[in-house]
Amino acid sequence: MMSPTEEDFELELRSLSGVLNVEIRHRENGDVDSVTLVTLGQDPSAIRVMATQIVNLYYAEASVIVEDATKALTPREVQVVRVALVRAEFNPTTGNCDVELSFNGRVGLGRAGSGQLFGGAEATLAALRDLGYNLPFYLLTVISVATVRGWPVIVTLRPFSDGADMFGIAQADNDVTSATMATLDALNRFLSKDSVE
Amino acid sequence: MNPTVDGASEGAFGPEQQQYEPWLFQTMLDELSVSELGIGFIYSVLDLLVKRYALSDAVVVLSHESFGPQMFRAGGQAISAEFAASIGTAPGVYCEPDVVPNVERDAVRTACQLAISLHLARFSAAHDPLTNIANRRTFDSALQASCVRSSRYGWAFTLVLADLNGFKAINDSLGHAIGDDLLRQFGLAMRRSVRSGDVAARIGGDEFAVILSNADGHDSSGFTDRLRSHLGSARELVGFTIGTASSPRDSTDPAELFRIADARLYERKGASHR
Repeated sequence: MMSPTEEDFELELRSLSGVLNVEIRHRENGDVDSVTLVTLGQDPSAIRVMATQIVNLYYAEASVIVEDATKALTPREVQVVRVALVRAEFNPTTGNCDVELSFNGRVGLGRAGSGQLFGGAEATLAALRDLGYNLPFYLLTVISVATVRGWPVIVTLRPFSDGADMFGIAQADNDVTSATMATLDALNRFLSKDSVE
Repeated sequence: MNPTVDGASEGAFGPEQQQYEPWLFQTMLDELSVSELGIGFIYSVLDLLVKRYALSDAVVVLSHESFGPQMFRAGGQAISAEFAASIGTAPGVYCEPDVVPNVERDAVRTACQLAISLHLARFSAAHDPLTNIANRRTFDSALQASCVRSSRYGWAFTLVLADLNGFKAINDSLGHAIGDDLLRQFGLAMRRSVRSGDVAARIGGDEFAVILSNADGHDSSGFTDRLRSHLGSARELVGFTIGTASSPRDSTDPAELFRIADARLYERKGASHR
């Protein structure tokens, strides 16, 4: 079990902007030997300076190691930090679809009341707007198609300006999740294309 | 290792929820009986998850408005940069082998999210956000407790009030960013200058206070010397004035002690201006 001091120590290190993970190594006598930080998207040398200041306050003898996860990602992976689905629900009583998305550590919520298919897609777009996306397209169609393997949902998004429609397809346990995942599929394709360009 | 996020909804709202066992809440209760929910709880839960499903590895990725994405690995193990990159930053629980039901992973993630939020809330309620030293509320409680001990058992302590000289002028001429940085450096120097058992706090804009345990009035000179040396380059930009009062010698009443230290501080400040 961690001591409250060690918990606060780790909390302070994690509060530094860009720190993803903290590992605290101990010597045999229980003293802290080294602290390894994994960082993402921030200047590792600046983090090292601030982390060293904090580490010195608690455990003056401990060394500080900073590893930058940004380097481990290829440029394209860095750009395409994917929008992930956390939750998609349809409430049969209210007729509302609620979608929760996560992007780069932030959570966006969206709600729409147009049934499971359109509602799922619209709630996803609303959640994306909640995440701060300024979406340059609108929802054109959401259809469920019969296949030998089930009922996948296809979502079509159309740009406000000129450009090709974007399609996404997904099949999950229920329509609202399928519609949400298909919308994200279309968005992720759009992002991939955008990052390549 | 498969992320839970992309398929998080697949079983989370179905009948699987009924089969959920309350081990997680028992862990919470156990943790609460000895301490408060915090980072330690997250590691406890991950270790239990590993044991419960005979996993070789488990990682939870959390998101927090103040922190951004955070990763925790069972056993407090390191996460290499490559491993972190392969997991990504979407919130979820990642297990090896991938045998934990979604509902249980969602519950673990939610409980861990709660723990880190509570830890941060607790820390923020007690500390000044700019300097990470104690805030006024924590300081007042500590001063009250020290006065009670001093009055009851005669334990001596010294209250030191410190005020930055000309801070407003620096803020006005060089900007608030420089001013904030100066306050941060001063807070850091204070943390480095106090001994374990002492309490350093920011009690106002550029006003700081320290309770030096087991110290009589003249003992504060050691602290002020350390503070000066730890200020480093910031000393060129700003100086400070202190006022002290000792308990039980001067008073055992917190308000009176504060008043005496404050009066001495302004006396010194006035003297330096004359």
